[in-house]
Amino acid sequence: MRAGELAQPFPMVTPDTEAIVAAQAMAGARLPGLIICDENGRPYTVLPGSQVLRFLVPDYLQKTPGLARALDERASDELFRKLEHTTVRTLLPAPQDIDELPVVDVDATAVEVAAVMARMHSPLVAVVDEHGTGRIIGAITASRLLDHLLPTSSGP
Amino acid sequence: MTTVLVVAAFVGAYVLIATERIHRVAAALSGAAAMVLLGVVDAEVAFFSEETGVDWNVIFLLLGMMVIVSVLKQTGVFDYLAIWAAKRTKGRPFPTMVLLVCITAVASALLDNVTTVLLIAPVTLLVCHRLGLPPVPFLIAEALASNIGGTATLIGDPPNIIIASRAGLSFNDFLLNLGPIVVVLMVVFIGLCRVLFRSAFHYDPDRVSALMALDEREVIRDRGLLVRSGIVLVLVMVGFVAHSALHIEPSMVALLGAGALVALSKLDPPEFLEEVEWMTLVFFMGLFVMVGALVEVGVIERLGQAVTEAVGDQYLLAGSVLIWGSALLSGIVDNIPYVATVTPLVQNLVDAGQGAPEAQALWWALALGADLGGNATAVGASANVVVIGIAARNGHPISFWRFTRYGAVVALVTIAIAWLYLWLRYYAF
Repeated sequence: MRAGELAQPFPMVTPDTEAIVAAQAMAGARLPGLIICDENGRPYTVLPGSQVLRFLVPDYLQKTPGLARALDERASDELFRKLEHTTVRTLLPAPQDIDELPVVDVDATAVEVAAVMARMHSPLVAVVDEHGTGRIIGAITASRLLDHLLPTSSGP
Repeated sequence: MTTVLVVAAFVGAYVLIATERIHRVAAALSGAAAMVLLGVVDAEVAFFSEETGVDWNVIFLLLGMMVIVSVLKQTGVFDYLAIWAAKRTKGRPFPTMVLLVCITAVASALLDNVTTVLLIAPVTLLVCHRLGLPPVPFLIAEALASNIGGTATLIGDPPNIIIASRAGLSFNDFLLNLGPIVVVLMVVFIGLCRVLFRSAFHYDPDRVSALMALDEREVIRDRGLLVRSGIVLVLVMVGFVAHSALHIEPSMVALLGAGALVALSKLDPPEFLEEVEWMTLVFFMGLFVMVGALVEVGVIERLGQAVTEAVGDQYLLAGSVLIWGSALLSGIVDNIPYVATVTPLVQNLVDAGQGAPEAQALWWALALGADLGGNATAVGASANVVVIGIAARNGHPISFWRFTRYGAVVALVTIAIAWLYLWLRYYAF
């Protein structure tokens, strides 16, 4: 099966999308991350869910997880309100820290897709019609790919 | 010719350390390597000479205390203390700052400064965020308090460890000679905080409930480990204090304590070695070899003679120059290489004094100047640099000048009081 067949529709998110809308899209569809596109619909970078959490949870709580146990529900609500009134752009790493984009062509084989994901430690890849419009046609998540690649089990 | 080359290599390495053109560990190791290549230092001198080799008492005291801190960190006791203290003040900003700086100062006297601020800064950020207070004044105050508190004991600040080992001074010597003045300095420092950081003390009663909702008991991860660690820490302190009766070196006490905690905690090596700063230990080793080479070629002896002749019996003048000069230099460059270099010179002066208290007091002048001088600038002490880094990562950048304008005032006032103390206690009567 080729990448074009494995690809699933993905929410279109740009750096100017409201952060709360993007996070809700990720949570609602149970996605491991989002592909951020530029204004021409070309994939720009991947926003993994962990990056959203990194934005929400202060560095001092990340470094001292035990301290987070002292927080009550109200405090955690306040933390997660940080997504309001901000855009996806603020969630993204600094431009110099943005990694190479995990992109495959519609013709890429499943193993080719797996190789890109494994090399880039990415939970998803964007599938792009590189010989046509250059626009993103969908994305493949690691779970979708594994579901296709793993042999059918005959039971435990 | 060899002497000239050794001095040139030493100065070159020192300049690299001070200017941070290359990492200080690389600079110290390069300096040590140069001494070996010049034929001044061999394995016998570097590893086994008590006079000119690596001071293993210092290295293993630091290592032991770092392991103890690694285990203590796992207990969450600092987070507990800070939240408990803030809740006791009902969220009033100035009393909260007072308790936090007192906890920092006491912890710095018992542990090392950098570890203390690493442990206290995160919970300070949490408390300030809950209260809607600007965290920067609190963090700066804690860095300054850690440098003052660390002055009180042999183990509080690395320069003190070097001085103690080279001068043969005990834990009690430090506690009895520096402890009283550090208590006075902390009282003065708290008064300075009231003035320097007055704009930060906005009390918002609506935010207090957010602080009071924090549950400090939740941050204690392992009560059993906390109790065991507390007992071992007390025993280690008793071991330090009872040195004259037990005749166990501080380094051995720290290693025994570390070993006991490792055995009792059942933690894995990555956990009980987490706070061990290998780079710092290697840096110390390189420095000891560099300074040892200066001793080997007789530079320190000649300098010591010249200084001793110049000082004569004017110990007050020598002490004054030492405390103010050390403070000035420690504000600009790392106080560890400075103290490692100056210690043999002070040793000459003290020896020439044949045990006179006025001459012995020069050690306290050196310790007070080097430790308190670290407060003068943002780069004067490792604790300052660490706090600035933590603040920046949490969206509260502290510029060099912002830190320095508070630190310089605190350094100036505390060193002036320390000088007065030296004069009154050792020279006036």
